[in-house]
Amino acid sequence: MLKVENVKKAFGAATVLDGVNLTVSPGEVVSILGSSGSGKSTLIRCINGLEKLNGGRIAIDDFDVAKPKELAEARKRSATVFQLFNLYPHMTTLQNIALAPVEVLKRPRAEVEQEARALLASVGLSDKVDAYPAHLSGGQRQRVGICRALAMKPRYLLLDEVTSALDPEMTAEVLAILAKLAREGTTMLFVTHEVEFARQISNRIVFLDKGVLLVDLPTEEFFAASGGLAQPRIAQFLSKMKKD
Amino acid sequence: MRYSDFTTYDLLLLAQGLGVTIGLFLVTSLIGLVIGVLWGVVRFYRIPLLTPLITFIAELLKNSPVLVQLFLVFFGFPAFFHLNVTPVQAAVVTLSANTAAFIYVIAVSAIESVGREQIDAARAFGLSRWQILRHVIAPQAAAFSIGPLTALLVNQLQVTSLISVIGVMDLAKIGATLNLRTLKPFIVWAVVGLLYYLTAKLIAAVGARYETRLRRFSEFRGL
Amino acid sequence: MQFDLTILGPYLGFLGQGAVLTAVICLLSLAGAVVLGMLVAIARTSQTAWIRRLAFIYVDVFRNIPFIVQLFFFYYGLPEIGIYIDAITTGVIALSIAGGAYASDAIRSGILAIDNGILEAAEVSGLSKRITFTRIVLPIALRTSVRPLGSVLINMILTSSILSTITVNELTGQAKIVASDTFRPFEVYAVLLVVYAALTWLVSIGISHLHKHLNRDLASEAA
Repeated sequence: MLKVENVKKAFGAATVLDGVNLTVSPGEVVSILGSSGSGKSTLIRCINGLEKLNGGRIAIDDFDVAKPKELAEARKRSATVFQLFNLYPHMTTLQNIALAPVEVLKRPRAEVEQEARALLASVGLSDKVDAYPAHLSGGQRQRVGICRALAMKPRYLLLDEVTSALDPEMTAEVLAILAKLAREGTTMLFVTHEVEFARQISNRIVFLDKGVLLVDLPTEEFFAASGGLAQPRIAQFLSKMKKD
Repeated sequence: MRYSDFTTYDLLLLAQGLGVTIGLFLVTSLIGLVIGVLWGVVRFYRIPLLTPLITFIAELLKNSPVLVQLFLVFFGFPAFFHLNVTPVQAAVVTLSANTAAFIYVIAVSAIESVGREQIDAARAFGLSRWQILRHVIAPQAAAFSIGPLTALLVNQLQVTSLISVIGVMDLAKIGATLNLRTLKPFIVWAVVGLLYYLTAKLIAAVGARYETRLRRFSEFRGL
Repeated sequence: MQFDLTILGPYLGFLGQGAVLTAVICLLSLAGAVVLGMLVAIARTSQTAWIRRLAFIYVDVFRNIPFIVQLFFFYYGLPEIGIYIDAITTGVIALSIAGGAYASDAIRSGILAIDNGILEAAEVSGLSKRITFTRIVLPIALRTSVRPLGSVLINMILTSSILSTITVNELTGQAKIVASDTFRPFEVYAVLLVVYAALTWLVSIGISHLHKHLNRDLASEAA
């Protein structure tokens, strides 16, 4: 279980997360919606230990991310896909994917590389095994980013606005892969702007507004007139998203 | 020579050496500055033949060891042209020319740092090439080049130490003399090094002061 | 007197030996400077204040003291504390230490230029600091600092001529011998000057190619 308990985070005087509670159980797909500046990316960065908490607790399978020794274990159980891909520019796609499984999980290289090839094939990049990131399109880079995360066999996949830097066509190819992962039962915590997509794949939807978790509802209820839409902030957000 | 200890007279020797170093540094920097800027102006006017010649000489001076340049002037010139060249003369000629080559590079990039559109605008107002250089380019180029100029001068101070090899009694040469006499290389070279270090810091500090002053002029100070 | 290059004919092999020694010295010193530069760059980006301070002092000192003073410090000083090494080794050590001060700057800016997101990706995947540094930070920093490191090498080639003052018979040292043998210092040093300039020019072309080659896959094309 991934547990976020009463988490507070501030940058200087600005409060970014204000007492957020959230639980993700294995097999669930949870989407976090919210306008920019709502703190949703910061929440992901707190979960993977990139930001220190100012209060509360985050635990991945009971490993507390605030404790250095447990953080290492927590990070083995989760993997992050970034908005700007953050691929290692001097390594081929295969090397990008194989680095952490070999160095962190200490798995045999041959086995890891075989799996990496299979992962690349599953996202339609069989021919890009030895390509460098600079020679790939944005969509292709993000597909590699997803493979790199999956190669760690994470129990929880954290996705931070993974399509925000992509044009619609590339967004579609990345979302298709995420939909497939959802069908296969991958546990995902998904920060996104793609409301329609979130509706299709999520079990639950969480709405953050100015650092406060406004609602945490099953997807259907979130979009029901009596559920999430009853909240003016959410209705406003959704209608604005539709216009865009 | 017999080994002997340091005396208070050695302090005087060091001061004298430092004086020669700083004196030659100032003189050659000034000559180098004038020649280098002049070369830059020649290039600005795109004078045929002279411009590529200057560029070629500057490249040659920049990309060869100062020690070799010094040997060419001190040993080569007297033999070839049947001149009398003293160590100090050779030092002045070589260091000035070498500094000029680097100043030239700074001058060229400083002139080029001034936007094309400014020059076009000035020309549209009917300013002559000289007027543009004098009133539009020069003030901005000076502010631009003070940083690289300071770095160059700190470097050129160190380059002056090479003239000790041809026998000029500069700080490095005094160091060599004391080293030979006292046989205490660590102390001698540490003290000599420290004096160079402090002089370099002084140059850098003066440069930094001028930089803030010049920058202040070019900054917009509100209405 | 006539400018006569034919007198150099019999000495070409002799000068060639000097050139080979210059090349060997410079390559060894470059390796030393890069290793030292890496260590100092790491120290300068360290979290611990006194390590940063120490690294800064090293860079500051060796950049602001003339190389000839540093060289004499080691050449005359090391025997005094019981370390007897030959002049060539002393020269390589001195060049490595002086070059390391400049190389650390190049590598440090290469390290600082690395996109923070890449480091975050490494961190969240659980890679240790050591692995992140050796497999990600250093390979990227070394690739992007090829050009500035090339400038360090070019400077090293020019500076290595100073080793002739401690009896190392590299290119300049051999040329000194030829000059006194032939009584034609002008021809010898004029040619030497051009040879150095041509050598550094070739090296700079080589560096450009190396830079392009190593960074061919790093160049970001429009996504």
